[in-house]
Amino acid sequence: MRRDNRSSRDGERNAAANRKPFFRRRKSCPFSGSAAPKIDWKDTRLLTRYLSERGKIMPSRISAVSSGKQRELAQAIKRARFMALLPYVREAGDIA
Amino acid sequence: MPLYESVLIARQDLSPAQVESLTGDTAGLIKNQGGTVTKTEQWGLRNLAYRIKKNRKGHYVLMNIDAPAPAIAEMERNLRINEDVLRYLTLRVDAHEEGPSAMLRKQDDEPREGQGGPGSRGGAGRPLRPRPQRSETEQKGD
Repeated sequence: MRRDNRSSRDGERNAAANRKPFFRRRKSCPFSGSAAPKIDWKDTRLLTRYLSERGKIMPSRISAVSSGKQRELAQAIKRARFMALLPYVREAGDIA
Repeated sequence: MPLYESVLIARQDLSPAQVESLTGDTAGLIKNQGGTVTKTEQWGLRNLAYRIKKNRKGHYVLMNIDAPAPAIAEMERNLRINEDVLRYLTLRVDAHEEGPSAMLRKQDDEPREGQGGPGSRGGAGRPLRPRPQRSETEQKGD
């Protein structure tokens, strides 16, 4: 079974769990590169893209954001929540 | 002098003129403490994402300030005392952003349709099952 080195680590960790390692094309971080948008707590349109329906911060393993940018993003989201630009929790009914 | 960016939310039943005078006083206070307010931006009456002190809406004001730290401490002390100010957030920034802030820039391009942009949702954001509206008053059997 051909395994490249990156997923071999995951492979070892849950070798027993699943025989077939889960391959996923590694998405690039949307904030790297030159044309990357600046993370700003006032820019709610950009921030909502990284929130789930319930208003929770999306984990970087799903939004493929690099760890440094994820910390910056999380801080911006928390500031926007403090200033009531973003809800802390969004009920199923209301789509703000 | 260090650069600061300060946003404050004023109570919703203030008239725009009162909000202007509030920002004017704050700017004046900064000035006579030796600082300058380089830019003031009124985001106007906006819906709050949640109620703050029973207010559903609030007047947002953004100020870019270039002032020594004691001036900021004094400004914040006044904002804390002032009952009309619901909340404020002052941040030290390395550089002020020129031109309209993200809030005003957002209005000129197309209005936000729904939510959730191109970013992939992945497993976490599975579609929500809207909870049935159960209200105690009328027992409507669905």
